[in-house]
Amino acid sequence: MTLRARMPRTAIVGGAALALLLSLSGCGTGSGTAGSDDGKIHILVYGDAANKVEKQLIATFNKQSKVKAVLDTIPGADYQAKLQTVINSKQAPDVFFNWGGGSIKPFVDADLLMPLDDFIAKDPELKTRFLPSVFNSAEIDGKPYGVPMRGTQPVLFFHNKQVLEDAGVKPPKTWDELLHAVKAIKAKGVTPIALGGGDRWPTLMWFEYLFDRVAGPGLFQKALDGDKAAWESADSKKALGMIRDLVDAGAFGTNFDSVKFTDQGSPTLLATGKAGFELMGSWEYSTQQDAHPEFAKKDLGYTAFPTVKGGKGDASDLVGNTNNFYSVLKKTEHPEAVAEFLKLQYSDEFVKAQLGIGNLPTTTNTPLFLQKAASPGYAKFQYELVEKAPAFQLSWDQAYPQSAATSMYQAIQQFFNGQLDEGGFIKAMQALPTS
Amino acid sequence: MSTKTLVRNEQDEEIAPRTTPTDRRDGVVGVGRPGFGWAAPAAVFFGLFALVPLILVAVLSFATWNGLSDPEFAGLDNWKKLFDDPVLIQSLWLSVLLTVLGVAVQTPLSILLGVWAAGHQRNRAILSAIYFVPLLLSVAAVSVLWRAVLDPNFGVPAQASWLFGDGNLFGHQASAIGVLVFVSTWQFTPLHTLIYQGAARAVPQVLYQAAQIDGAGTVRQFFHITLPQLRNSIITSMILMVVGGLTTFDTVLILTQGGPGTDTTISAYYMYQKAFKSFDYGTASAVGLLLVLVATVISLVMVRLSGYDKMRSTMEGL
Amino acid sequence: MTHAATRTVRRERPNFLAGFGSLIWLFLVGLPLYVMLVATFQSRADYAANGPLSLPRHFTLDNYIDDFNNGFGQYFVNTVVVTVCVVGIVLLLVPPLAYAIVRGRGRLTSGVFRLFLLGLAIPAQAVIVPMFYVISQAGLYDNLIGVILPTAAFAMPVCTLILTGSMRDITPELYEAMTMDGASPRRIFFRLVLPLSRSGLSTIIVFTALQAWNGFLFPLVLTQSASTKVITMGLYDFQTEHGVDIPGLLAAVVLSMLPILIVYLFARRALVQGLMGVGGK
Repeated sequence: MTLRARMPRTAIVGGAALALLLSLSGCGTGSGTAGSDDGKIHILVYGDAANKVEKQLIATFNKQSKVKAVLDTIPGADYQAKLQTVINSKQAPDVFFNWGGGSIKPFVDADLLMPLDDFIAKDPELKTRFLPSVFNSAEIDGKPYGVPMRGTQPVLFFHNKQVLEDAGVKPPKTWDELLHAVKAIKAKGVTPIALGGGDRWPTLMWFEYLFDRVAGPGLFQKALDGDKAAWESADSKKALGMIRDLVDAGAFGTNFDSVKFTDQGSPTLLATGKAGFELMGSWEYSTQQDAHPEFAKKDLGYTAFPTVKGGKGDASDLVGNTNNFYSVLKKTEHPEAVAEFLKLQYSDEFVKAQLGIGNLPTTTNTPLFLQKAASPGYAKFQYELVEKAPAFQLSWDQAYPQSAATSMYQAIQQFFNGQLDEGGFIKAMQALPTS
Repeated sequence: MSTKTLVRNEQDEEIAPRTTPTDRRDGVVGVGRPGFGWAAPAAVFFGLFALVPLILVAVLSFATWNGLSDPEFAGLDNWKKLFDDPVLIQSLWLSVLLTVLGVAVQTPLSILLGVWAAGHQRNRAILSAIYFVPLLLSVAAVSVLWRAVLDPNFGVPAQASWLFGDGNLFGHQASAIGVLVFVSTWQFTPLHTLIYQGAARAVPQVLYQAAQIDGAGTVRQFFHITLPQLRNSIITSMILMVVGGLTTFDTVLILTQGGPGTDTTISAYYMYQKAFKSFDYGTASAVGLLLVLVATVISLVMVRLSGYDKMRSTMEGL
Repeated sequence: MTHAATRTVRRERPNFLAGFGSLIWLFLVGLPLYVMLVATFQSRADYAANGPLSLPRHFTLDNYIDDFNNGFGQYFVNTVVVTVCVVGIVLLLVPPLAYAIVRGRGRLTSGVFRLFLLGLAIPAQAVIVPMFYVISQAGLYDNLIGVILPTAAFAMPVCTLILTGSMRDITPELYEAMTMDGASPRRIFFRLVLPLSRSGLSTIIVFTALQAWNGFLFPLVLTQSASTKVITMGLYDFQTEHGVDIPGLLAAVVLSMLPILIVYLFARRALVQGLMGVGGK
């Protein structure tokens, strides 16, 4: 019994048993190896309830195409992390969901994505069938990298009609009217504005709109292009001062950092009359329809964000998620099939299906079907806003490279709740990595 | 500890001259003792799927890499950056603080519950079955639940404003840390309770009978008999708590996301942010490695104290 | 109380303080569980309107039914496969290792033990990126085997710690007796060590099963198709880009914990006894 003699025997027995176990477990388990080498095109999408439309479109595509498409989904919250892990591996998809802007910039820099010029040259409709303000936000260094899919999600200013009526105020058109309404609602013992500060991105929306209204879209673009001085400009400080005043006036109550939108905290405040306003993406409407159908029908009002007197931004400028996009990997083996698939994104079937689940596509044929939308009036309101908006600012967290998001959220939250003063906030924003 | 080391060294020296060639030692002295072959499959398997990635992590900590292009050697850059980074330093403190608080709260609680549940009464059996349930829930579920219960407007704080004020539990560092400690206690106390329950039942009844004859009350018995008898269990459970505490991150991810600001950004979460939010895998690897080192040192010290590694000296008694 | 008193001599009078404390804990444990159960029997609208603490009003089973319509069955099967295989691997590899650690005397073996102690401290998310490369190089990406292997590897350190503790309870005299009879290590292992560490074994089974059942990070990064989804990934079906369907999510949570709860109720005795070994008395 030598050490040398004994080791292999046990090891072999153990190893063999292990191999047996593994091969047993292998049977019956779906060992569908993903990757672009199986003769199919893989479409990678953010996994959520909207997947049913993507499934429907892929089924349509598979009926007409020799090269078949497969839908892969990644659970929502971890989409970007997972995407970054697989995109430069052999498991990379052919086509993937994204938010345009900074969310695909690193991939373009790493030379992984295919510019869509060639596709567009062959089928100009891939560009002309979409609203330009939306299509442009997936252009990087002047080249298009994304075809819009799903819908546009501008940020709107929602209110509870009943609360406003009780306080004797009208939906504010200007910043001064808003300040007045805040005071009046607060006097009634109601929190003027619901804010899901725990999620942090709802807080960001206030910055996005105020910077636009005060300074116009140019200031943020300058900062994004690497001009750190933009954050120190008088306009920037003016916008920050307005935010500070609003918070200090008690517009958001005191416990907004413990409230979330994602677990229905802030929408319920609005719906139950415990708050008067909420600044939120257009999905607020379907959220309310789902959770508080009575309220959505009767008392949910919506307007554009108030104007600011003397501000440089146009009153019809929008901020928000311009759209979701499909981008294409350079190394796809079936570019023709991918091009065919992308064409479906402006088909009538696509538009109808998206409208049916409450999304608002930004194709030029969308107006034809607005009557078929889940809420025609609301869909029309939004579509016209987006169509007419001189500028549609992509959400800051998506415009900046992904690596900036965490620090940006921290600075936003800390400025809002008073942990950071103006100077600290400016410094934090200047420290963010730009492209 | 030092005597143990001493003993081992003596043995090694004692054996060393005789052990060349090794097979003779096994043949003569170690009759009936398992050789390395028994440990090999586990070691190989573990090495392949845990240590190889860990080594890669160590390598990556000296590189810059975003997962897209090829990693580039960066020398000590990541490490230098880290030690100038106030958030990292703070995160280490927070990790230690959360771990210490976790141990300090969970240990007495689970000892008391465990000793209590060790009684054979039927109601205790039923209660301890209920106590066990939190352990079955995934951390994600636990965090979603507590977020709902602690909602400032619709949860418990709204009903008990005398205790919670405006309910802004996630808006201040102290209360956010309190919630994190509480929620992990809620989830992991059942595990430790079970450990103590088992150990308390194993305490020989003779000891208690003797103490009763001496007229010792329940409290005295607890401190003079039960606690000393639980010593090994306490250390084991503490090792699990410390390691668990240092590596927790999903509770933070779902409950506070490291906020307000960076106030609850513990090291494991900081690493996650660096890796999966900022895609700075180099720095993330350095943080990860640092965390592994800290946890290893702590668990080695505790294992030493607990006598888990003393098996050789006890076996020498044979 | 009198029955109890005859059985355990030391508790002759009821301990009110302890009883009171245990009730407080029951409340703390029970409240979220109550919130969970109540939520699962309400529609999303009712839950949002009533808040988490309300009494159930309109009873509905829709959340549970929806779960099954959403492919919960497939996820369930996948999760069972993962759990059984992980437990299998751990049971195959850890007991011999623990035996070698407790009874062996080679430097290599004690080195291996130290290695596993080091492993105790490796957070899975620290190694997840390299893990992705190891698994995808091995061609196991998007395959349940690719989830099973690392999950098992990461369960091993704690199991080793527990099982060595349990095996050290076997008195040296027993080993000695068998060795005198000329028993080989294999014989000692199967005839003495395994039977006497049954409690430790049941503990590591439960630990490993829990870990595999609730595993999140490895399936997240290492799988992608619907056919390889496990329950924890399925829980994300209730999340949209901007919200969570809380009742649906919690119903899935209840469904996912039921099997383990049932196993626990039947194996409770073995488990509690098993945990006696953890302290290494």
